[in-house]
Amino acid sequence: MNNQGAEEERYAYYRGRKPPRFVTESEREAARILDYYRIPWMYEPRTFILEQDEAGNILEAFTPDFYLPELDVYIEVTQMKQSLVTDKNRKVRKMAEKYPEVRVKLLYKRDFMILARKYDLTLPM
Amino acid sequence: MTMDRAAPKIFLTEQQIAKRVSELAAEISADYQARKSPLLLVSVLKSAVVFLADLAREITVDVELDFMAISSYASEAPGQRSGETRGVRFLKDLDQPIAGRDLLIVEDVIDTGLTLHYITRSLRLREPRSLEICTLLDRPYRRLVDLPVRYQGFTAPDDFFIGYGFDQRGRFRNLPYLAFADEEAS
Repeated sequence: MNNQGAEEERYAYYRGRKPPRFVTESEREAARILDYYRIPWMYEPRTFILEQDEAGNILEAFTPDFYLPELDVYIEVTQMKQSLVTDKNRKVRKMAEKYPEVRVKLLYKRDFMILARKYDLTLPM
Repeated sequence: MTMDRAAPKIFLTEQQIAKRVSELAAEISADYQARKSPLLLVSVLKSAVVFLADLAREITVDVELDFMAISSYASEAPGQRSGETRGVRFLKDLDQPIAGRDLLIVEDVIDTGLTLHYITRSLRLREPRSLEICTLLDRPYRRLVDLPVRYQGFTAPDDFFIGYGFDQRGRFRNLPYLAFADEEAS
């Protein structure tokens, strides 16, 4: 069994077809938290087009990290670097303008810290 | 009282907390005064206990108290294999059935709402007559899960606190006020 397979087995509430391929440790920790709270989740199930040129080429897109089907909400986990946080905030704002019916929430470093303090998490940062 | 630390910066004084607790209790008393059975105040151990004690004594309708405890994210269940999927669970459940009862969950602070989502989802399966939420502190801007919070004490900034039930490594819960915690010491 490779590592990817092992990761697939560990998440009881993962509802995607393919094993999740997390890019950051923050995403992996967020997956553990969702699993811990028994909340079904999917990893990057949908990409939203934010901007296209006249020929239809995609100029900007946004793929939120998680989708929680029971709660019908997307979650984007933010990085530590302020520049990345700012960029994600901008994309979430743009999402809200273009897809007002879709709910996207940001999970900040601070949220991990609060959960860590309350529940003795091992922080990935 | 010796606390081995410099005087903390106060977020809410004892008087400010007492005033708001009285207001919340008056609102709750008015809302539940026509009910025939006692209102069941449910608290999740441990931080909300001080708030619960003050609130319960200000409420003028008949109340009963009960407590729950949930597992820590980091704790391993006895006999659990390393790497095995863990999930939140009740370490201490309510002592009584709640079908047909009016429940008010009394919380210290609500952030993402993940914990309370699990608790309310579990308790609603037991078919209480009503289930409402009262929290001393709320950070609605941190919410991942939408929760109907009926009674809210204060909207809190994004800081850690000590006192009035809030701890730092188990200490300072008995301070009568809410102060900003020294995050370096967390």
